[in-house]
Amino acid sequence: MKAIEIIGKGEEMHGRAYIPSGREEAGTIIKKLKENGFAHFVMLSCVDWIDKNEFELVYHMWSYEHKEHAMISVRLPRDNPSMFSMHELFPQIETYEREIHEMYGIDFEGNSRLTPFLLEGWHDTPPMRKDFDSKKFAEDVFDSIPEIKEEEDEGI
Amino acid sequence: MGLSDGDIMRYEEWNKISRIASRKSLWMLHFCTGCGAVELPPVMTSRYDMERFGMGPMATPRQADVLLITGYLTVKTLKRVVNVYEQMQSPKYVISFGSCPINGGMYWDSYNTVKRLDRYLPVDVYVGGCMPRPEGVMNAFLELMKLIDEGKARGWEKYQKYYEQYKRNQKMAFGFERGKNEGD
Amino acid sequence: MKEYELFIGPQHPGVTGNMMYHLWVDGDTVTKAECNVGYLHRGFEKLMESRNWMQNVPLVCRICVPEPDVNEMAYAMAVEQLMDWEIPERAKYIRVVILELARIAAYLMSIGSYAGSLGIYTLPQWALGDRDYFLDIFEQLTGARVYHIYIWPGGVRWDMPEKLPGLIEKTLSYTEKRLKLYDDVLFKNRIFFDRAVGIGKIPRGKAIEWGVTGPNLRACGYGYDIRKLEPYAVYDDMDFEVIKYPELGDFDVLSDGCDAYTRMIVRRLEIEQSISIVRQALEKMPEGEHIIKHPNWLKWKVPPGYAFKRVESSKGEYGYFVVSDGSSKPVRIHVRGPSYTHGVNVAETILKGANMADVSQILFSLDVCPPDIER
Repeated sequence: MKAIEIIGKGEEMHGRAYIPSGREEAGTIIKKLKENGFAHFVMLSCVDWIDKNEFELVYHMWSYEHKEHAMISVRLPRDNPSMFSMHELFPQIETYEREIHEMYGIDFEGNSRLTPFLLEGWHDTPPMRKDFDSKKFAEDVFDSIPEIKEEEDEGI
Repeated sequence: MGLSDGDIMRYEEWNKISRIASRKSLWMLHFCTGCGAVELPPVMTSRYDMERFGMGPMATPRQADVLLITGYLTVKTLKRVVNVYEQMQSPKYVISFGSCPINGGMYWDSYNTVKRLDRYLPVDVYVGGCMPRPEGVMNAFLELMKLIDEGKARGWEKYQKYYEQYKRNQKMAFGFERGKNEGD
Repeated sequence: MKEYELFIGPQHPGVTGNMMYHLWVDGDTVTKAECNVGYLHRGFEKLMESRNWMQNVPLVCRICVPEPDVNEMAYAMAVEQLMDWEIPERAKYIRVVILELARIAAYLMSIGSYAGSLGIYTLPQWALGDRDYFLDIFEQLTGARVYHIYIWPGGVRWDMPEKLPGLIEKTLSYTEKRLKLYDDVLFKNRIFFDRAVGIGKIPRGKAIEWGVTGPNLRACGYGYDIRKLEPYAVYDDMDFEVIKYPELGDFDVLSDGCDAYTRMIVRRLEIEQSISIVRQALEKMPEGEHIIKHPNWLKWKVPPGYAFKRVESSKGEYGYFVVSDGSSKPVRIHVRGPSYTHGVNVAETILKGANMADVSQILFSLDVCPPDIER
């Protein structure tokens, strides 16, 4: 696959190129792919592997010329995770990093706009982590709100 | 100067006339709160045509009569909906669409949606379904007009009477009582 | 002049749904814009992690409300890639028919809402009334008007009834006649040309870097359509041309980018393209099974792996990233909606310097749909 040729490592998975990368070299890999035809940045995802105690960030890129999809994967430790921001390369990465910061608690150095994006006034653990139980939260907070008690009607 | 029997009779007749005028010209507020709003354009346009009953859209809450809660409500939207409801003038009515405001619906275990609507706002008519069909929506409008005619649609009075209970429930949902919020 | 802060807020007829734009205005010109979403956030991706693979199918279609079939298709394709399933031919043709019909219905709604934002109120009444005939077809085929739950992993839920191709042909020829009326009211109208040319420009050299996809990218002059670049279902068997650099009537168009005018013309021409694809698919449909022999849905486990599949929808590129570790529930499903880039970064950049009266028109011509952004 063209992406594996350009970078020099990686494997093919169901027709997509999967390139594992270290934390510091991810910026150079993405810049090199951008200059060699991979001009469309698709999205930035995060997977929580709680058994192995790490987060995995996956950068997806697509090339219109070679018609290929590449996934660049970076593993971060689960306590105090932080990564470099890449929003100078593609402007929409700023929004993806903002959402991952809010939902997983990962810090991105160099991104000055890490303000709340989807939730307002949230002070619990970041909700997409695997140790946050959504059903229990909904039962504790919303089901415990009492009904409106009406008094006996005297007749209007 | 007390009220004679003749005066009370004219007061009752005046109420009846004002209710007839009210139910023939309900204006609904233009607010698409959730996914149930996709079945509202067929009702408003030429296929099912609610304008023959006198209902039309209105952009500002100060001049609207009916608030339609179309589907689920998140906590962020509930703050704005309460604001809008309190800006509307009495008499005002609330219709809720779908199964999400009744008991949570498809998102019963979500951390961001509000499960039962009648603990935060007084609801007059419920429509079931996911989505409710346009015939169901028209049925709800006609049911509301019938309740107004009989004098039974009194949601706004309930809100005024039990105001502290409604406010306490709203604050619990917004997180003020969990002690960590400084008032967003 | 003093600078004012305004909120084009969640309750407003000029935004395309339940979202808010925070504007700073100097006189009549916008100097800065910020997008504020989160009013429709249900936490889909968290809910999907605690349900079975099959229990996620009714949940997935509720992400995009005007066009729910593209989500079902992308989810089914991603799961089929992990399972290495080969689905029968008849199911692929039926999937093409239903996807293209949903695309026409979504385009009608988008054209109608755009005309409403300009003030031409005849067109929403016509377009939304004509869209209802397509919802009747869906009701005959799947049983529901809006949320179909018809495209399952492995095929489609049941076979097409016999009388349905006749009803589809009747609706399509009716729509072709009505498109000429839409041209007279909106697309050949001098008011549309005067109000829409030059408004909301996206420069051609920056469109791909900003993440623009779908009809917006084709209006900038690139001929990129996912149905041709990475064909799925039986699109490689269909004969159609990708639409770019459109010209309609005797009006000139820009050649160094796109504006509101070219974006709406692309949408209008793609309705005719979809009508011809539906007719070809109905002609060439073979006999056969409609779903493969599937396992017990309650005890179904998917082998481990990473899968990514993309689909061309009427708003842009939809992508699904599915991660499995071999159990009966997914580890991570991440949905990429097209409005994530259009509504947040692109809109904030092109609203700078726009006139206050044009803000609503720009948002409707980009076709921003808030449930894509926040799921």
